[in-house]
Amino acid sequence: MTEQKDIKQEIVITGFGGQGIVLAGRILGEAVVLGDHRQSTLVQSYGPEARGGACSAEVMISDEPIQYPYVRHPDILICMSQSGYDKFIEQLKPEGTLIIDHDLVKPRGIDRTFFSIPCTRMAEELGRVMMANIVMLGFFTAITKAVSLESARNAVLESVPKGTEETNTAAFNKGHDYGLAVLKGREKKATGKAGA
Amino acid sequence: MTNFNIILFLCGWGPHAAYQTLQDNGSDIPPEIKMVRIPCTGRISKALLFKPFEMGADGVVLAGCEPGSCRYGTGTNTALNNVEDTRGILDLLGLGEDRLRLVTFLPDEPEALLEFLTDFVSEIKGIGKSPVVPPHKKTPLVGVDDLIKQTVVAYDVYTCLDCGKCTSACPLTLAGKPFSPRAIASTIISGNIDSPSVQNDIWACLTCGLCYERCPSAVNFPEFIRDIRHILKKSGSNGHAAHGGFFQSLMRTMTSPDLKIKHWEWLPEEIRTDDKSKTLFFGGCAPYFDIFFRNHLGVKTRKILVDSLRLLNFFDIRPAVLDDERCCGHDLLWSGDKENFLKLARLNVDAIHRMGVQEIIIGCPEGYRTFVHDYPEHGIECNFKVTHIFELLEREIDKGAVGFKKFNRKLTFQDPCRMSRFENCADLPRKLINRLNLKGFTEMQDRETGAICCGNCAWIGCDSFSKAMQVKRIGQVHDTESDLLVTACPKCQIHLQCAMEDPFLGEELDTKMMDLTSVLAKTIQWE
Repeated sequence: MTEQKDIKQEIVITGFGGQGIVLAGRILGEAVVLGDHRQSTLVQSYGPEARGGACSAEVMISDEPIQYPYVRHPDILICMSQSGYDKFIEQLKPEGTLIIDHDLVKPRGIDRTFFSIPCTRMAEELGRVMMANIVMLGFFTAITKAVSLESARNAVLESVPKGTEETNTAAFNKGHDYGLAVLKGREKKATGKAGA
Repeated sequence: MTNFNIILFLCGWGPHAAYQTLQDNGSDIPPEIKMVRIPCTGRISKALLFKPFEMGADGVVLAGCEPGSCRYGTGTNTALNNVEDTRGILDLLGLGEDRLRLVTFLPDEPEALLEFLTDFVSEIKGIGKSPVVPPHKKTPLVGVDDLIKQTVVAYDVYTCLDCGKCTSACPLTLAGKPFSPRAIASTIISGNIDSPSVQNDIWACLTCGLCYERCPSAVNFPEFIRDIRHILKKSGSNGHAAHGGFFQSLMRTMTSPDLKIKHWEWLPEEIRTDDKSKTLFFGGCAPYFDIFFRNHLGVKTRKILVDSLRLLNFFDIRPAVLDDERCCGHDLLWSGDKENFLKLARLNVDAIHRMGVQEIIIGCPEGYRTFVHDYPEHGIECNFKVTHIFELLEREIDKGAVGFKKFNRKLTFQDPCRMSRFENCADLPRKLINRLNLKGFTEMQDRETGAICCGNCAWIGCDSFSKAMQVKRIGQVHDTESDLLVTACPKCQIHLQCAMEDPFLGEELDTKMMDLTSVLAKTIQWE
């Protein structure tokens, strides 16, 4: 994917309450505003979600001031739960990017390419399942380049609890490395050289 | 007088008669020719063919009888193979294969012989002097007893409890050899370094380190043996070299700084390297092994280097390679020649520094151990990071999006002593094996830090007990009911293959072997 500046990007992050969906949206927005000096808004869903139901964060990124913060048809949809996927998949633009958690979401009923990462499993292997959202952010940064790597990494460091910077940076890098590897793998496959 | 030296190994049967006619007639035999009369060309091993080059000879001729007229039947054929292999090695070394020639003459062909010799001398003059620096005369060592005592103190061998754990673990002892590390230790401590058993056993030790692993007093027996070897070697011990000392000779020759070694010229075209890369791939001696063992074992250890590079390319890493890469010196260090080890180490490290490399990647466990451990220990500073290729692969594969094709084999793994025991990296190859998509993986009875050596180290002290040990080891492979023995060191392949060549046990021992690098390169794929 190329740098998508001067374009308004609408992003929906969705999952269970407690997965850190809203935090991921906030970190993303902060990275864009404070790091990349662009405009961003965040709308978070309230209500029963906080008790473990479907939950979502709507993030807009733009170079111009944003007049209306609600996302109707996302350019990028990140799904970390099946119910979130089922609820939002119809709204995703046909040319939009779909990113899912490999283990938690089965992408049924669609005929499009998508990106998947076992971010919950990776976070578990890194020692804290709570960091799945950070792994996902790293992956998102590598795949979409909607935010610069430097800004995203700094925003993660600013937002996570003190004392967990190191593990969260590791989580972010894990997702980012995976994203780069996936892109490289697709590129290699496209040229017909999948093996060594 | 001339400053060119050409050695003529002359068979005493056919060509010697022709040579004698030339001498009788007072013919003008070029003065550069130094004749050595031999019983048969077939008796001149690769080690003997190569030795003159180590001593600084500019050319070597092996003159024998035509095939069919050999007094002993197969001499000329053996000579053909030996000369071909040695020429291959000379080429890799950058000396050029043209410096060695095999010719045949009948007794009644003195003119043809003279013509050949004259032509050969002018040809060699055309090529020029050999860049090999002849070894200087050794001065006999004084104060051996004191040096031995210092070594005993340095390794604190006095703490030996005489408990015998070493002897009961030693794979040579268990193979039936009358050999005991603790007995060697106590004989040396009591000042009997000259005892015949010690003088022999010092060179038989595999330095595999299993005794050190078990020693409750942590006496580093392999390194103790290594240092004792240096003292004995300097005081004139012959060192019990295997293969006629060919490999030691080869390594010593590499210490000549002006050699234009062509270590990588054979590399397949599809391999992508980059001279300006900050990462360098250090291959090791596999190309020499393949030539030397071409007829005997048919090993293809060069493939390990190609597969390593293919794996690096797979991850878009285009490493630099060192055109005049030399042996790391491991085998010289462990066979008692510290002086030449240091020369090799300096040449390699200087060449790498000149390339401005930040990281080197090594596939050979002996090379890895030597770079990370023995170079710094001997005062050779490396301003670059040393990474084993398994470390790098594990790191890259762990990033994800990489998978492995189904490999329908049941595997077992031969640990390389230098990695698994000395550098404590037994988990590294296993992590990679566990990533593979296999039919099965079963460990051998003796494994990881307790694994049994492949039977030889540093090309010395090979005997029937080494063989018995290898047979036992291959038995352990078969006990796992695996159909592929995975190795991680080219030497393991060579030595275990050698055991399988046994004319009596051969078929029973036959086992397929493959290096882990090759298994990875064969099955890895982007997902």
